[in-house]
Parts: sequence; C-alpha cells; structure tokens
Amino acid sequence: MIRITGFGAVSAAGGNVPETLDAFRHGMRNAGPVTLFATPLQYPVFEVKHIPDECYLEGRRTLSLALIAADEALRDAGLGHDLSGFRTGVCLGTTVACQLNDLEFYQSYRSTGSASMIPVDRYVKGNLAEFISRTFRAGGPVLTVVNACSSGADAIGVALSWLKNGLCDIAIAGGADELNRIPLCGFGSLGIVSRELCAPFDRDREGLNLGEGAGVMILETKQSAARRGRSSDLYVAGYGSASDSYHLTAPRPDGAGLERAIRNALSHTDIKAGEISFVNAHGTATQDNDLVEGGTLGRIFGTGLKMLSTKGYTGHTLGAAGGLEAVFTAAALREGWIPASAGFHNKDENISLIPVRERTDIRGDYALSTSLAFGGNNAALVFGRGEK
Amino acid sequence: MKILGIGIVFNRGRGIDSLEKALHEGWQAPAGVEIKGRKSFAYKVDQPTISDRTLLKNMRRADKLSKMAVVAASDALAGSGIKDLNRKRVGIITATALGAHVTTFDFLDDILEYGDAGVSPTTFSNSVHNAAGSYISSALGIEGPTLTVTQFFFAFHSALQLAQVWLHEDRCEYVLAGAVEQYGDVLGFVHDTKLTPAPDGRIRPFNLKPAYQVPGEGSVFFLLGNKKHDNTFCEIHNVSINADEKDMPQADLDIIDTDGLLEDETVYTRCVSSAVPAAAYAPLFGSMLSGSAFNCAAGALMMRKQKIYANPVTDNLHDLNIVMNTVPCNIELIRCIRYNCFNEKAAVYLRNARD
Repeated sequence: MIRITGFGAVSAAGGNVPETLDAFRHGMRNAGPVTLFATPLQYPVFEVKHIPDECYLEGRRTLSLALIAADEALRDAGLGHDLSGFRTGVCLGTTVACQLNDLEFYQSYRSTGSASMIPVDRYVKGNLAEFISRTFRAGGPVLTVVNACSSGADAIGVALSWLKNGLCDIAIAGGADELNRIPLCGFGSLGIVSRELCAPFDRDREGLNLGEGAGVMILETKQSAARRGRSSDLYVAGYGSASDSYHLTAPRPDGAGLERAIRNALSHTDIKAGEISFVNAHGTATQDNDLVEGGTLGRIFGTGLKMLSTKGYTGHTLGAAGGLEAVFTAAALREGWIPASAGFHNKDENISLIPVRERTDIRGDYALSTSLAFGGNNAALVFGRGEK
Repeated sequence: MKILGIGIVFNRGRGIDSLEKALHEGWQAPAGVEIKGRKSFAYKVDQPTISDRTLLKNMRRADKLSKMAVVAASDALAGSGIKDLNRKRVGIITATALGAHVTTFDFLDDILEYGDAGVSPTTFSNSVHNAAGSYISSALGIEGPTLTVTQFFFAFHSALQLAQVWLHEDRCEYVLAGAVEQYGDVLGFVHDTKLTPAPDGRIRPFNLKPAYQVPGEGSVFFLLGNKKHDNTFCEIHNVSINADEKDMPQADLDIIDTDGLLEDETVYTRCVSSAVPAAAYAPLFGSMLSGSAFNCAAGALMMRKQKIYANPVTDNLHDLNIVMNTVPCNIELIRCIRYNCFNEKAAVYLRNARD
C-alpha cells in the first residue's frame, strides 16, 4: 500500500491543517466579498487571507498557494526542501495556472499590437508541477493535470499509479488554484454561483461559492518510508476514474460515470461499500451536482451513509478541490471525526442522503472522497487507516 | 505497448495517408498570416480538413482545438480496425501545452467588451483546458478515465508514460493518447517576439542556431494497447524523460524535434551521432510544443512501411549525418528526441511490434 507520510493544506478555512481542523471544529465559514481584484460581481468568495513572505510570488498566486501546502506536507513527512537524494515525482492539478489569462497583457496586445513579455515569462515558468519539482529538486516524473474540478483528485490517482509501478518512491501530489477573475466571470455566466453562502445538498441550495487554496499529500512506498525511519498508518487504498461521455458542463443524470469511478476505486483493494465509514463528497451546492452525486452515493452506500461536503468551509477551489478534500478525508480518518456539513439545513426530498449536521465521530478504516468535473470526468479516492 | 492506430490532423490534411503524402512530397510553404498588421507565417489547419458533419454533429459550438482533437482521436480508433471495443475500458489522455488559449482570449474579449456580467457561458465552457478531452469522450462514446495533462515540452511524453502505466495495471484495455495545439494570433505574436521567425516560412531543423520557428497547429492521437492487432504500426519500447538511457540499444534513426522553439538548439548535437542518421519533420507541420507527437507519428509510419523518408529541409550547418533520400530500409528501432529549455531530454523509442 502507498502510505501518506505527510499532508498540507491552505484555504480560507486555515493556513495549515491544524488551523483548518480548528475552523471545522468551530464551524467557521470565512467567506466575504472579493478583495483580490476589482469586479462588479457581488458573490461571496472564500479567499486565503495570508500568504507568508517566504511563499509569496509576484503575479503567481496559485504557485504561492501550492508552495504553502507543499512546504507543510514535506515538513509533516520529515522531508526537507532538497529532495535530490530521493526518486520523487510531482503530480499536481490546477485550472487557473495552466492558462495565459492575463487581462492586462491581452488588453495591451489587443489595443496596441504589442505587450510586455513578463506575463508570458511568468506563465511559461509557472507550470505548476514543474515549478514545484524544480523548487524542491524532485527529479522524478512531473505532470500537471488539468482536468477541471477533478484535477487534484486525478493528480493523486496518477501519483498512486506512478508509485505502484515503480516510477518513483515518493510523490508530491494534490492540487492548487487561486481565486481569479476569469473563472468567477465564467461560473457567474453559467448561473451556478450563489449570492448567499453555499448550502451543499440543502433543499434550498442556490449554487456554489468560489474559493482558492491548495491541498498536497506526500505519498510514499512503504519501503521508502521505512528507509527514512518513518511510518504512517494512513494510506491511499484506491483510485477510480470514469467519464460520463455525456455533456461539457452537466453531469450525467443517472450518475453512471460516478458510480463506475467509485466502484473501480473500491475494487482496487477489494473494499466493500459497507466498509466505507464516511464520504467527503464533491458537494458543490449546485442543483445538478448535488442531485446526481447524492443519488449515486445513496444507491451505492445506502441511506445510512455518513457524508459531508467541506465546500461550505472552503468554497469550490476548482483544481485544488480534489487535493484539499483528499487531505481533509485523510485527516478525518486520523482524527476520528468529521465536521458538520456547513450550510445544510433542510433535506432535499429528491436526495435520499442527509449530510451530517454536527461534528460526528467516525469508526472504521476507510473513507471515500469524490470529485466531479466539467467535461464529465468523475474521480474517486479511497483512503485507509491501519497496517494493511 | 503497441501503436494500434494513428489519427492525425495537420497543415497538409487529415489522416495517416496525408502524413505519408507529405513525407513523400517534402516541404511546402506555409500560409502567410497577419498579426496586428505584421506579416508572418503559420502552418494552419484549414476548415475543410476538420469538416466532418457526422462526427462533429453535436459539436457545433466547440472550438477548433476540440474539433481537431476529436477528428484525430476518431481516426486513430477507426484506423486500428478493432471491432467491438469495450468503450468503458478505453481511456483518453490528451496532452497539450497551451490548450484552448484561442478560446480563452475570446473569453477575455467578452470581459473587455461586455463586462464581467456579460460574458458568454459557451465560450467559457470551451476555454476550460479539458474541453477537447471531454468532446472526444462524448463524440466517441468512450467512458473510461479521461485525463488532460499539460507541460510545455514533455506533455506528450508524460501522456505516453501514463498510458503505459494504465495499461500495465489494467486500468484500461486501450488508451487513446495524443496531443493537440491550436494557432492563434496572440501565439504568433509571442513566438515572433520571443523566438526567431523563419523569414521565408521555412523551418531549418539542422541550423540549430539561429533556430527558426514557424508556429503550427493540429492534433495526433494514438490508439495504444498491449495486444498486437492486424493494423499495428509498431510498439513503444520505452519512454524516457530526463532519465539515463545507457541501457538502450543504438537506434537505426534519430528523429529530433528541432523546430525553433528553443532559441539555441545546438544541445541536440549531444545526442545525435555520425553513426545514426538524423531526421526532423517539423517543416511539414510547424513548430509546436507538442510537436513530438507528430514526429512520433512519422516514426511509427516508417516502422510500418520499413522506409525512411527524406528530410523535408536539408540545410545542414553542422554537417550532421542527415537523411537525404527516401529509401526502403530495415528499421528495428527509432528514437524520437526532444529537449526542453532546461536542456533536459525526453525520448520515445519505437520498435517493431512483437507478439
């Protein structure tokens, strides 16, 4: 089994994992109006309020966020900032950092036929996984996954495959994304952003809130961890992915793609659905996502399933979401409790499941994190606790 | 891992036959383009090449990037001749350096012209990096894992490496892995500002310094699987990225990705030798960060045909051993090589397919 020897997270819920767990414990929802850029759009967003000086990179906020989470994860794993002595891969997901969507650059080009190359240089040097790999002298395989909202989860799945197939011994995996004007406009135009705080799975949900952050795991073969004198009782038990083959933006109504992804992830280690102690759902609070996801989870796991969405604490962090939620899921397994699913008040009669309304103790050794993406991709990660 | 089918869309047409024809015919001048009043060149794919009403019937609102990718992926599947594929067991890995940048700039136009609240949801949806992969999945009915990956030089190599892993761990029975890039005037502006444009539109792959570039666009997809089929081109013996290749045998041909996207390409002299002829086919399709996929397609075709194609442009400043004529040849191993701007190397080894 591939062990999780460290993790780190930054989001509006906290600048690191302990702060985040504290926010979860106290039900803190740190949303507010957009302050990072000028926009007339009046949506609540979940911004990261502080970037430490040592991680600050001018004009490259996504990379800054990734650095914060990677630094915490590496320290948690007992690794330094120079990984040249190890075979380390880096696989990270993002959406914003993969695009040259610099409005100032483009406006200049559009109006004068010329523009500064500084944003272009930043972009070319800013491939997320390459940047992290070079920063920490990782030296192994490098890949940036750009699978929209499942990018972070898929990146962990890719890293899992690399480790199982011997391409590296250690992997830095997860996702990062900044709050950016372009997707805010885009999601706004799709009519799926709420003007209130989001309410995943609630009957009266009105859409998502955007957020930002990064969630990074250090995955490692058992042998590598043992060589370093480290142990961890957390591991990645399985990853599944499947496409809806249906629509660019809408999830397949019957949830067949998500169901296949989940069953595939479970089958990798012969885990039965009944062994899953809780599910950290994608739960964006859009009408379509929650209906499809809730229906699918209910079908597979039954109505007694403990489930939640953490997007009520972080907003939808797009390419970071799968990474952050993987970290939250693993942390919950370690801590033995899950927080209340923030924003949920009233049962939707069309969804058989009810998310947990208060901090809830969990028993069992397995948990699932799901991600659904634009483009119809579905990803599922199963995490385990114990010596398997 | 075998290459079971290849689909290609590029400046000279659609399909593997178009690639073969281009390899026979050699270099042809690319189209002139205008970038904010300045004249330049680009190897563009014309609209009729990707006009396929049946295949693209549900993609009227899709952008050119997605259409090129769908056409190439569909042709790779069809060209394999494999009947009754279980499409739940087919994966898709789309590699792209720049993705839907043209549509992204269209979306920025929307913001600048209509404001934050007046933008088009359709344009936004199509600007998302994995739109092309998603369209492949829905147009071809493929329900396996669908992933889009990006890097500036080695995205295609990483996609192949991942395809190998997926097949090995039986996550998929087949993988459609490929690359897609689109030309746009902003890209042309950036190319011409940061790199050396070829004054006559002719990429000279063996000049090395100055290294001339002409932007290209197109898509190549490979249907990959572990079992040999009737239409198999060859196998991908090894994909190495920034790794030691000392255990690899000497190839019969080195295809190098010199296309002017590095300011100085003399780094390629480190890997070519007088004992192995070198070829470079970027003058047929243009300079693209995912250009390795096109050179690999040429290599796979040569393996199948057991024929080496003449270099389309043979200016040879460094007196390298380059292929001058198209000749039948016993080819066992071809190495396709790309360097990035950190002088790191990626190589794909193509070998005759074995059972």
